[in-house]
Amino acid sequence: MEIGPILRALSRNKLGVILISLQIAFTMTVMVNAVFIINERSKLMARPSGLDEPNTFYLSSTGFGDQFNSQVTERDDLELLRNTPGVIDATPTNAIPISGSGSSDGLRIENDPTLPATPAAVYFTDEHSVNTMNLTLIAGENFSASDMTYQSSNERRYYRKAIVTLALAEKLFPEEGLAAVGKSFYRDQAPVQIVGIVERLQAPWPNSFFVEQAMLVPLNFTDATSTYLIRTEPGQRDRLMVEIEETLAGNNPDRIIRGLKSLQETREESYRLDSSMATILLVVIVTLVFITSMGIVGLAVFGINRRRKQIGTRRALGATQLQILRYFMLENFFVSGVGVSIGAVLTIAFSIALSSLFEMPTMDWYYTPIGMLLLIAIGQIAVLGPSARAAQIQPAIATRSI
Amino acid sequence: MLEMKNVRKVFRTDMVETCALDEFSLTVDQGEFVTITGPSGCGKTTFLNIAGLLETHTSGQYLLDGVDVSQLRDYARAKLRNQKIGFIFQSFNLMPDLNLFDNIDVPLRYRGMKSAERKERVDKALDSVGLFARKKHVPAQLSGGQQQRVAIARALVGEPLFLLADEPTGNLDSNTAKGVMALLEEINDSGTTIIMVTHDQSLAEQSKRNIHILDGRISNNTEQTQQKAAAAA
Repeated sequence: MEIGPILRALSRNKLGVILISLQIAFTMTVMVNAVFIINERSKLMARPSGLDEPNTFYLSSTGFGDQFNSQVTERDDLELLRNTPGVIDATPTNAIPISGSGSSDGLRIENDPTLPATPAAVYFTDEHSVNTMNLTLIAGENFSASDMTYQSSNERRYYRKAIVTLALAEKLFPEEGLAAVGKSFYRDQAPVQIVGIVERLQAPWPNSFFVEQAMLVPLNFTDATSTYLIRTEPGQRDRLMVEIEETLAGNNPDRIIRGLKSLQETREESYRLDSSMATILLVVIVTLVFITSMGIVGLAVFGINRRRKQIGTRRALGATQLQILRYFMLENFFVSGVGVSIGAVLTIAFSIALSSLFEMPTMDWYYTPIGMLLLIAIGQIAVLGPSARAAQIQPAIATRSI
Repeated sequence: MLEMKNVRKVFRTDMVETCALDEFSLTVDQGEFVTITGPSGCGKTTFLNIAGLLETHTSGQYLLDGVDVSQLRDYARAKLRNQKIGFIFQSFNLMPDLNLFDNIDVPLRYRGMKSAERKERVDKALDSVGLFARKKHVPAQLSGGQQQRVAIARALVGEPLFLLADEPTGNLDSNTAKGVMALLEEINDSGTTIIMVTHDQSLAEQSKRNIHILDGRISNNTEQTQQKAAAAA
């Protein structure tokens, strides 16, 4: 191995080494941090809402005119929906998970408004919500029809029972876990009893810090607008979306049906910014890695062309083709090594800066060494072709005068 | 030691076929100092390249230390070059980015020799050409004559079977050239075989044997007496 001579020779050609090393360092800094951000976004996007998303859709009914009776219409609509072949269940709701729009309440475990409140998303719905949303009830029980209360959305909201997510139960009663069933919390100075706990149900706001803290409440509004969440049997959703929209619109001339959308569409819309950012970052990574690879190839080709006679001389002095190949691969390894070492420092510094400036999570330790290895591997792959061509240089070139 | 029988070298392009060496037969024995002379384009460098295993010949037989090199693959030829042949080039061909020690060390590294033995040999070779004190210098810090002495040390460090010198004084002034020639004669006197290509007839006359090439063939193969050689010196 020619480690010593290669390092000494590189130290006499500092400018080229520094420039390509800085390029590698910069690429590594951007690449590793971008991959981390993409992974974080991917994790966010991959979180389950708790619902049977592929088979769930929703729509709204808005009545108009003096003849319109919202309570009767909603009752008839829900009966029709639940009896439609292919529909598993349907429920009224004020909000759709991960849609970006909904209601929240501040909850306290003591009736003292001066204490800090725990935020939670509230879904005003009925006893069909657990089944419609395909939630897993892990403790307690579902609502019954007799639990339901009806009021206008303009009135002060009043409810006595709630089914909460496990995350909310653990937030309110950290020591209790599933034993939080039967306990009460206070909202607006009124006690609410936890009757059940579901494994998971996300809030309407996917980027909220309390996205996993949500609850179902047996309350329905008597307003002119009702939103229905509908779960279908697998493979029936698209057909039923069309059929149900037409049926509901046709059986009552005093209202309009709007906002027909599947939960999958809602997810795509809610996470569009995240997925766009991931795509942009991916393009940046690929572009940077490509440019850096071309830089490495360019430097290698330039170095080889400049040293053709030297290579011929080395061959004349007894170097095998493999030894010539190894020489240039090693040379690149050291240049890349300097680059990724500087890059490691910059990557960590940049990550800390991002973390403190944008309140992002701290990057896991393994990103940096993986990034280093990856860039060294990319460098070795990039320089393999030029090195192989260098190994083909004939030893007779050593005796040529030009 | 070196035996060529009816060696022929033909360079072919799409349009032209050039015969650089034709029916070339030559034997060089251990301890000889042979000079190869001839006009430009006569085939001197082609002979040197074939003798040094830098190029393959088209036909004929070439035995190097009893080994027929005609069918050897690239790897085996590289190993033979490394172990049996020392090269001295007209332009010295030193690595500009390496210091003198590393330059002379190059062929030993390709031989896979251990570090301690390499160091001993390189130091000795540098000492033999009077440049031990400058072993950390790079070639650009030396004169042309000094650089050629480094190249000679590099050629000798592996204790080769013979030295192949390609116009070793071609880039030197006459005084420096004399010094380099004296060094080569000293090396030859110690038993190392030297084959030197030159266009300088006065230098050729200092060798023990001169071979004159014309149009790819040996036109003259002259044994020279020591007295004549001494007189020429």
